[in-house]
Amino acid sequence: MDLAPIWLSLKLAFVTTAILLVIGLPIAYWLAGRSSVPKLITEAIITMPLVLPPSVLGFYLLLAFSPQNALGKWLQDTFAVQFVFSFKGLILASVIYSLPFMISPVKSAFNHLPRSMAEAAYTMGKSRWQTFLYILLPNIKSSLITAAVLTFAHTLGEFGVVLMIGGNIPGLTKVASIAIYDAVESLDYASANYYSLFLFSLTFVIVVAVFVLNQKSAKSPLE
Amino acid sequence: MRLFLTIVWFVLFPVLGCSQPLRVAVAANAQFVLKVLKTDFQKKTGIDLEIISGSSGKLTAQIKNGAPYDLFLSADMAMPQNLYQAGFGLSKPKSYALGSLIVCSSANLDLKNWPKLVNQAEITKIALANPKLAPYGQAAEAVLRQYKLWETLQAKLVFGESIAQVNTYLTTGAVKLGFTTEALIYESQNKKLKWVRVDRKLYPPIQQGVILLKHAQKENYAKAQQFYRYLFSAEAQQLFRQYGYLTP
Repeated sequence: MDLAPIWLSLKLAFVTTAILLVIGLPIAYWLAGRSSVPKLITEAIITMPLVLPPSVLGFYLLLAFSPQNALGKWLQDTFAVQFVFSFKGLILASVIYSLPFMISPVKSAFNHLPRSMAEAAYTMGKSRWQTFLYILLPNIKSSLITAAVLTFAHTLGEFGVVLMIGGNIPGLTKVASIAIYDAVESLDYASANYYSLFLFSLTFVIVVAVFVLNQKSAKSPLE
Repeated sequence: MRLFLTIVWFVLFPVLGCSQPLRVAVAANAQFVLKVLKTDFQKKTGIDLEIISGSSGKLTAQIKNGAPYDLFLSADMAMPQNLYQAGFGLSKPKSYALGSLIVCSSANLDLKNWPKLVNQAEITKIALANPKLAPYGQAAEAVLRQYKLWETLQAKLVFGESIAQVNTYLTTGAVKLGFTTEALIYESQNKKLKWVRVDRKLYPPIQQGVILLKHAQKENYAKAQQFYRYLFSAEAQQLFRQYGYLTP
């Protein structure tokens, strides 16, 4: 049995989660403060992949990064980078696609922290950065883990976007969800079952883990 | 932070560093025979290939948008011709096989008189490949039009994205009747399907064309040429015939 699609899925989910932790935290922190028009618009855009059909996202990414079009051609000519039909492209798409899964729970956790917590830190002479790192972050640890786990799981199941901009290239863009589709199309139901069972089991474990984690903080399971 | 970047680097590095295998994009109807050809070709030359299958229309669109394929085996001549004219090809399209359309059923039906059978209430859905994307779908449409059935059957028709989807509908029993490629029958696990060949005079010949793609120049030029020549070898052509194709 070919394990490559499973490794590729795990790799994609892992890299996407790591990138989103790095860029998602500051965005979530910024969004958590007092609301304003730019924040509202940013949040709307970030939340959109949650409800947007993946094929829409895939279609526009394909248009934007196709070497036939200006941006894609420029990237290709200047940096020799091609986002369509490559693993890099999948990462880029997944980061956009899974953005709300990272940001929403973290933002909401920041909002739930009492303001006095940060203020107390400031009066003790801690900088904004120190306060963020040593006071706020440790206090939202469980939400942070939930967000990371959900991001991971969501990326793992990605199908429409991958099919649109990634195609179905073994070892490069053929992730587990695509491998299921491909196996069914090749009438290889044994392989389809194998990949499906893997995703099914892993998803179950992840959802149980999230529920257990959130039991302690006594909020709704998906917050 | 540093830990994350280190991990990201280690995960990404193998992807950036690897060399490309010979990639062959193949129309869904020919994926079964290609699997056999792949094994035979590898035995003879030691060259491994990766097969990417889908509808000819989808693969053409992918190639135009930069998909890294070295060869394209289409289900028709028009799409490789289109790619050639758009500057994606290294060779003029050449026909490697002629497809054969069949009427196929997962149920125990007597298909000899299928044009009568399709009107019965028992047959609720009839699957064919999307004529816009797949030549086997175009052939099926042409046949149904010849029998003046195209209009009357509209409500029953189910369009698969490629012939592979039609095959899935048939083998899972989701539809009782469908138009597909003869190659399906010779896949070992599908011996139970009932089928009958559609008269070749009723549809334009399904000339399947191959084109060597520009992408091959990057790394795999020699290997791609070798496989291209192999396609027209006596052994390969014999394998095509075993899967129900006519050979040029």
